[in-house]
Amino acid sequence: MLRHQDDAPAPAPEPLIELKGVDKTFGPVKALSGLSARVGRGEFVTVVGPSGCGKSTLFNIVAGLEEPDPGGALRFEGRSCHAADLLGRVSFMPQRDLLLPWRTVIDNAILALEIEGRPRKEARAEALRMLPEFGLAGFEAQYPHQLSGGMRQRVALMRTFLFERDLMLLDEPFGALDALTRTLMQRWLLDVWQRHRRTILFITHDVDEAIFLGDRVLVMTARPGAVKLEQRIDLPRPRRPDLVTAPEFIRLKRTLLEAIEEESLKSFQIAEEKIR
Amino acid sequence: MSAAPALAASTPAAGPRAGLFARRVAGRVAALLAVALAWEGLVLLLGIRPFYLPRLSSVLAAIAASPGAYAAGFLRTLAETLIGFVAGGAFGVAVAVAFLRLRALREMVFPLFVVSQTIPVIAFGALVVLWFGNTLIAKAVIAFYLTFFPVTVNALIGLESVDPRQIALMRSFGASPRQILLRLQLPSALPQTFVALRLAASLSLVGAIVGEWFGDTTGLGVLLLQAMYNENVVAIWAALLVSALLGTGFYSAVALLERRLVFWGAEQ
Ligand SMILES: Nc1ncnc2c1ncn2[C@@H]1O[C@H](COP(=O)(O)OP(=O)(O)O)[C@@H](O)[C@H]1O
Ligand SMILES: [Mg+2]
Repeated sequence: MLRHQDDAPAPAPEPLIELKGVDKTFGPVKALSGLSARVGRGEFVTVVGPSGCGKSTLFNIVAGLEEPDPGGALRFEGRSCHAADLLGRVSFMPQRDLLLPWRTVIDNAILALEIEGRPRKEARAEALRMLPEFGLAGFEAQYPHQLSGGMRQRVALMRTFLFERDLMLLDEPFGALDALTRTLMQRWLLDVWQRHRRTILFITHDVDEAIFLGDRVLVMTARPGAVKLEQRIDLPRPRRPDLVTAPEFIRLKRTLLEAIEEESLKSFQIAEEKIR
Repeated sequence: MSAAPALAASTPAAGPRAGLFARRVAGRVAALLAVALAWEGLVLLLGIRPFYLPRLSSVLAAIAASPGAYAAGFLRTLAETLIGFVAGGAFGVAVAVAFLRLRALREMVFPLFVVSQTIPVIAFGALVVLWFGNTLIAKAVIAFYLTFFPVTVNALIGLESVDPRQIALMRSFGASPRQILLRLQLPSALPQTFVALRLAASLSLVGAIVGEWFGDTTGLGVLLLQAMYNENVVAIWAALLVSALLGTGFYSAVALLERRLVFWGAEQ
C-alpha cells in the first residue's frame, strides 16, 4: 500500500512525530486503519484525501484530543507517548476559525498564551507586534463579527503561530476562502513559515495547494484512512506563483490526481452502496 | 492606512445606535404621558367613582403627602429584592456549573429542585418567616427561592450548548477545566442566562412583596396590605404605582446590563 516509501529517503535524521499502524474506530465507523506517517523537524507536509477519509481524525489524534485504538504506536520527539501527552504541546488550528465573539482580534490571538499563564499585557504587546505580518494592523480592537472570512482566518492563524510549538497542525485553513485570497494566503504562509521555521502538517482538499506548499504530500485512502501514497516534492524554494504552470509541477499533479481520483471513486461507490 | 477601515466600521455603528436609543426613550416617555392623561381624563369624563379608580392626581397627591413612607418602603423592598436576586442568580449559576460537572449530582438533586418549585410560594413563605423571623433576610430568601431555579435551568442549557470543537481547541492549548469554564463556557452561557435573569427580576420582586405580607413594618407589601385593611383605595393605587416603578426600573436595569455584557448578540 505504501508505494514510494522505500525509495523516499528519511526526511530528517530524527522525525518530530511518527505514527505506526494507527487505527481509530468510532462505534461502527472505522475512521483510520493502519495509518503510518512521519514528519521531520522543520518539514512542511501536506495531506490530501477524499472527504470523510479521516484527515481531521488524524489531526485530533496528533493534537492529543482523541486517543487512537490500542495497538498502534505514536512517537513524539523520539519518545513513545499517548495522544493525551500531546495536549498543550502541539499548535492546532481546527477547520473552522472558532474565534470567541466576545473577544477582540488581539484577545482572540493571545488566547493560547493566556492559557499558558503569560501576563495579558505582555502577550498583547507580542501579538500587537505580529499584527502587520498577518495583515491585521489597525484591527486589534475589532470583534470577529466585524471581519471578513479571510481576516478571521488570519486571526485564527495568528493564534496558532503565537502558540509557539514545534509542530503546527493546520486543518484546511484556506478551505473557505475564494480562489484569489487563497493563493495570496498560500504565498503569505510560505513566507511566514520560512521565517519562523516550524514543522507544519497541513490538510487540504486542493492538490495544487498541496504541491505548492509541501515538501511532501501524503495522499490518504478512502475510509478507513491510511496513507496511500507519499510523494516527495522536490521543487525549489522559495516557490514562485508561476510554479503551478511548470512541467514538473504538472507531472506531480497528474500522479497525485490519479491516486486521489481512485480513492474518491472508492468512497463514492461506498456511499452508493449505502444508499441502495 | 489600515486604521481607516477600523474607524469607518465603528463610527456609523455608534451613530444610529445612539439616535435609536434617544428616539426609543422619547417614545416611551410620550406613551407614559398619554396613559397618565387618559387616566386622569377618563376618570373625570366618565365620572368613575374613586372607589373603583381614583384620579391619577389624587394618587400622586397621596404619595406626595407622605413621601417618607413610600421612599422607605421602596428602599426596603428594593433591598430585599436585590439581595434575593443577586444571591439567587449566583447560586443558580453555581448549581448549573456543578450539574454540568457532576452528572450524578444532577440526577439526584434536579428532581428535588423541581418539586421545591411546585410548592406555592405562599406556603413556603410561612415556613421561611418561621425560620428567619421577621427580618429583611427572610424576604430576601423568598425572592431567592423564586429566582435561582430559572437561572439554574437556563445557565445549564447555555453551558451545555457550547460548541464541542471550541472546547477541543481550548484543550489542545493545554487548558484546565477551570480555564475552559471561565474563558469559554461561562461567557458562552451568558445570553441564555440573561433570559432567566430578566424573568427573575420580576419574580424576585414578587417574592419580596409576598414575604412582607407575613408581617413587617416597612416595605411596599406592607403599604399595600395596610391600604387594603383600611379600604383606602387611593393608598392601594399609590403602593401599586410605586411597586410598578420599582419593578420596571429593576427590569430595565437588568436588561441594560444584558445589553452591556452580551454585546456580541446571537452569533453563529
Ligand atoms: N467524534 C466522532 N464520532 C463519530 N464519528 C466520527 C467522529 N469524528 C469523525 N467521525 C467519523 O470518522 C470519519 C472521518 O471523519 P474526519 O476525520 O472528519 O474526515 P475528514 O476530515 O477527512 O473529512 C467520518 O466518517 C466521520 O463521520
Ligand atoms: Mg475534516
